[in-house]
Amino acid sequence: MIPAGYEPLDRVVYADDFDRGAQGWTLLTGNYERSLDSLIAEQRDFRPPMLSSLTMWDTGTAGSLHGTYALKLATRPHPGSISVALKRTTFRRPCPIQVEAYFAVKPEATDLVLGDRDVRAFGIFLDLQDGRERVMPHLRYHNAEAGERRHRWLFKKDRPPVKTISGETRSHFHLGPDGWLDVPGGEQDLCYNELPTKQNWHYLNVGFDLRSMTYTHLHCNNRTFEVTDVSPMRMPAWPNLDQMLNVGFWVETDTAVRAFLYLDSVVVSAGTPS
Amino acid sequence: MIESHTAVLDRDVTWTGEITTEPYEAGWATEALFFVRVLDSGGADAATVPVHVEISPDGLHWTRHDAVLSLGTAPGVYAAPVTHFGNWLRLSAAVPADVHPRVIVYLALKG
Repeated sequence: MIPAGYEPLDRVVYADDFDRGAQGWTLLTGNYERSLDSLIAEQRDFRPPMLSSLTMWDTGTAGSLHGTYALKLATRPHPGSISVALKRTTFRRPCPIQVEAYFAVKPEATDLVLGDRDVRAFGIFLDLQDGRERVMPHLRYHNAEAGERRHRWLFKKDRPPVKTISGETRSHFHLGPDGWLDVPGGEQDLCYNELPTKQNWHYLNVGFDLRSMTYTHLHCNNRTFEVTDVSPMRMPAWPNLDQMLNVGFWVETDTAVRAFLYLDSVVVSAGTPS
Repeated sequence: MIESHTAVLDRDVTWTGEITTEPYEAGWATEALFFVRVLDSGGADAATVPVHVEISPDGLHWTRHDAVLSLGTAPGVYAAPVTHFGNWLRLSAAVPADVHPRVIVYLALKG
């Protein structure tokens, strides 16, 4: 069943309302072989997602947009800490796809202050591979940095350095802070609503064409952004990843306060190839 | 069918001094099991270190639950069952300076 408010393409690939559990959304860890010591340092400590009822110290349980539970990504209270959740599938045919989500983003209500500059960023990424290329669209909402509001959407197209772990296993830190470029006209203020204990749900819609491996659209709430000049990371195909269709979300904190990203639901759909 | 979920709260970390695991929400579950897999006990006195389960109404303020587990002196899996825990769970311990247990921490939830 598709939760209210979604506008999927012709065929729904999956419609995950987190009132029904994690449904395949899991923690991301870096690749390793034989020992966890082979992990890239930045990827050793991504935090696990959890099912949250959005319970606050001052107002109690709010519940999620469509029920009681949302998938919650929570960082550690260390600047730069990241939490990632992703779902791994494969695609049947090259066609347009669309990822929609209702999300809320907040810092932990540790202090009785506004806290709107504690969350550094959150984002959505895809991880795709056809017979020729691995393609990784990444879109990041840069909320704040060093106490200054940024409030803009960014993308990344330059691939990070790759660590070879063995002949058939590699790893790279693709969520790192370097290499982000402005989405043209990508400034956007998101409703924060005065207290870290109040969450407003936002709508996100990202379109990508698996035939051309290019973006088709980016919508967030009332805004539609121009994506003609927005590019994904592209690299020659990696071993054993053919037909991969992974979708992920992440959140990172800029201060010694935990950052939270809540996902009420996620709907991935596919269009009919023309 | 009953829902179940296992979270990996720490992977291959060495506990030193005052430790707490990150807060984890589990309000949907009716029972929980903390597993601490000791990769290296890191000292003969590891078995004397009580590891307390803590609960919280808001994820910010914590109190001890009755559940407690002790680490062994040898690598292995040590567990503490927990019920009536509200929404938030974590582990807490004061590890002596001469003990450095290397652990993986799991929280297994069911309900």
